[in-house]
Amino acid sequence: MSKKWVLAAGLLGMPLFAAGCAGDDEAEVAGEEAVDLSFMHWRGEDQEVFEELIAQFEEEHPDINVEQNVYPSDQYMATAQRMLQEGTAGDVFASFPGAQFEALNEAGFFADLSDEEFVSNFDEGAIEVGQADGSQLALPYQLVFNMPVYNKAIFEELGLEVPQSWEEFIAMGETLKENGIIPIAFPGADIGPNQFMNSMVMNNAPDGAFEDLLAGEASLTDDWWVKTLEQFQYLQENGFFQENALGTNQDAAMALVASGEAAMLATGSYHMASLLELNPDLELDLLAPITVPEDEARYEGIHTATFMLAANSNSEDQEAAKEFISFLSQPEVASTYANETGQHLTVKGVEYESEALQNTAYWIDERETRFQPRYMITNAQVEDAVLSSIESVLGGAAPEEAAAEAQQVVEEVTE
Amino acid sequence: MRISKTLYLFFIPGFLLYFIFFIYPTASALFYSFTDWDGLSENFRYVGFENYERAFTGDSVFAKVFVNNLQFMFTVVVLQTLVALAFAILLVKNTKTNVFFRALYFFPTILSSVSVAFIWAFIYDPTFGILNSFLESAGLGAYTLGWLGDASIAIYCLAITQVWFHAGQMLIIFVAGLQSIPEDLYEVARIEGASKWQTFKSVTWPLLAPSATIVVAYTTIQSFKAFDLVFAMTGGGPNNATEIIATYIYEVAFRSYEFGYASAISVLFMIIIGIITYLQFKALRSDRVSY
Repeated sequence: MSKKWVLAAGLLGMPLFAAGCAGDDEAEVAGEEAVDLSFMHWRGEDQEVFEELIAQFEEEHPDINVEQNVYPSDQYMATAQRMLQEGTAGDVFASFPGAQFEALNEAGFFADLSDEEFVSNFDEGAIEVGQADGSQLALPYQLVFNMPVYNKAIFEELGLEVPQSWEEFIAMGETLKENGIIPIAFPGADIGPNQFMNSMVMNNAPDGAFEDLLAGEASLTDDWWVKTLEQFQYLQENGFFQENALGTNQDAAMALVASGEAAMLATGSYHMASLLELNPDLELDLLAPITVPEDEARYEGIHTATFMLAANSNSEDQEAAKEFISFLSQPEVASTYANETGQHLTVKGVEYESEALQNTAYWIDERETRFQPRYMITNAQVEDAVLSSIESVLGGAAPEEAAAEAQQVVEEVTE
Repeated sequence: MRISKTLYLFFIPGFLLYFIFFIYPTASALFYSFTDWDGLSENFRYVGFENYERAFTGDSVFAKVFVNNLQFMFTVVVLQTLVALAFAILLVKNTKTNVFFRALYFFPTILSSVSVAFIWAFIYDPTFGILNSFLESAGLGAYTLGWLGDASIAIYCLAITQVWFHAGQMLIIFVAGLQSIPEDLYEVARIEGASKWQTFKSVTWPLLAPSATIVVAYTTIQSFKAFDLVFAMTGGGPNNATEIIATYIYEVAFRSYEFGYASAISVLFMIIIGIITYLQFKALRSDRVSY
């Protein structure tokens, strides 16, 4: 079959080849020995900053040209795997943790970075998620807090403290409602369920709960998940979310918080910069619902080390690819990226200049956060089943029924 | 008449394109449907009919998705055909106003799916959307809904968007069909004293059957393959309420990395479309007449 393909491609490509011959000669002379690197990622909003950093990198490495290939995050899974497979792009690429990392690792796309010096530029604890079988295969660059962002000014005005227990959380919501403020803007139409579930489940689920679920040793009908769904139901039925929350997308939810109509945005720290763009006067911080009594709380928030930088094992220019990752891991370079994109990073020694980043940097060292539980679900269909049970409850189903329905899917998939 | 052998060479480019873009991918999908290939690795295992068995007996989501797709298809086929036919009858004469309105109704067809998805997602937005704002300003605030967030109606909301998007295209086919009906037949019907309904039933509809066949068959196929709108507007949610076969294949292939199983669903998908289209052609052909 491959011979036929070559023949077909040859026939179709003949005229193009003939037309391009003269140009090839010129390119060879001009770009002798130059390496063209493709950097594939999903952060369209960071493209400009990366252009700036790439220009700096190319100045330091005149023999390497870097081109960005950016695909939106919702298409990234499909596009990345195709490109990596074809070898058409992605000498350096970003990967999500969880299911995508597992799949790309199984296919052998990650070059081993374990012995590279620049690995020591990263926070040891944060990069564990990019390891497999004792090897460092990818280096998470961004540190994201996937927990609600809240408007500090509203809290101060109403004399509210950050709740330390479920009881306090409910009382806080009631006060906000009494004052005509929606407690939580919930973008149920897109990322709401997959983000808010993390902080809702962090103190309910035992460590390793989702790994056990995949192994068939735990069930979504167990108390920890049913309780989480019951708490979602409580919030929905008692008006803690805006009306028709399941039909609201993230832009609309952000607008509610930016305008002061809602006090919390159920997404994560990555939306703080966008909220400040919408309303520069906002004072923001992070707050996760504590779903248990105060003395039972083990975690205060959720973190994710993501945007995992990797070198493609199939790339012919692996050394240049590693050189580029090394460049991005330098504290000065990482600081530029962090401050211009409003992100916390896993690189050590980053200096955060913006007020919003400085104000929330204490979450990195001083707070007990749990790695995003959703990313421990390494099977996408199981993840969908988990999220569907939340949507089902928000749509009016009983928590036990929704949990049982989701568990059926989990069993079908894991069997 | 003898055809020179060199003339056959002219078939080669067309055949190559057909082979590369249709026969080979279809045959590959069929092949992979009997394997457990994850779409990434070089190795895979032959699993026989396991993937097909899973689709029929071991995947409750697929069953739900199939029902969603049928609901979506029936709503779109009925609404789109009726709307396009009604407007075609109203706009059949070639007056300046009618030509303007035909162009106006055709306009959504030239938009990209993503633009249409963006427009309608904004219309349906429960907080800032035009639809709820209109209902509220009309004193019908009690009827505001979550639209795309309401699992019981979300699929119909998507169907309405699909109809808005493509009805103009079908309108043109119906107008062409209506204009090809000889005026004499309407004159005879008038002389015989036929009512408007009788004229439509006995003259217009039977002679419009070839156009209707095209419209219904095309709409059916289109509604089965409405991947882009669904993907951009709801992503299949909430709770899989708007997941259709095309988006489910994408999920299974590119998020769950189960290419073998996704290929099996694709093969089933092709068979389903084939059967439904055949049945429609058969049913609508029986309505055809010639005078």
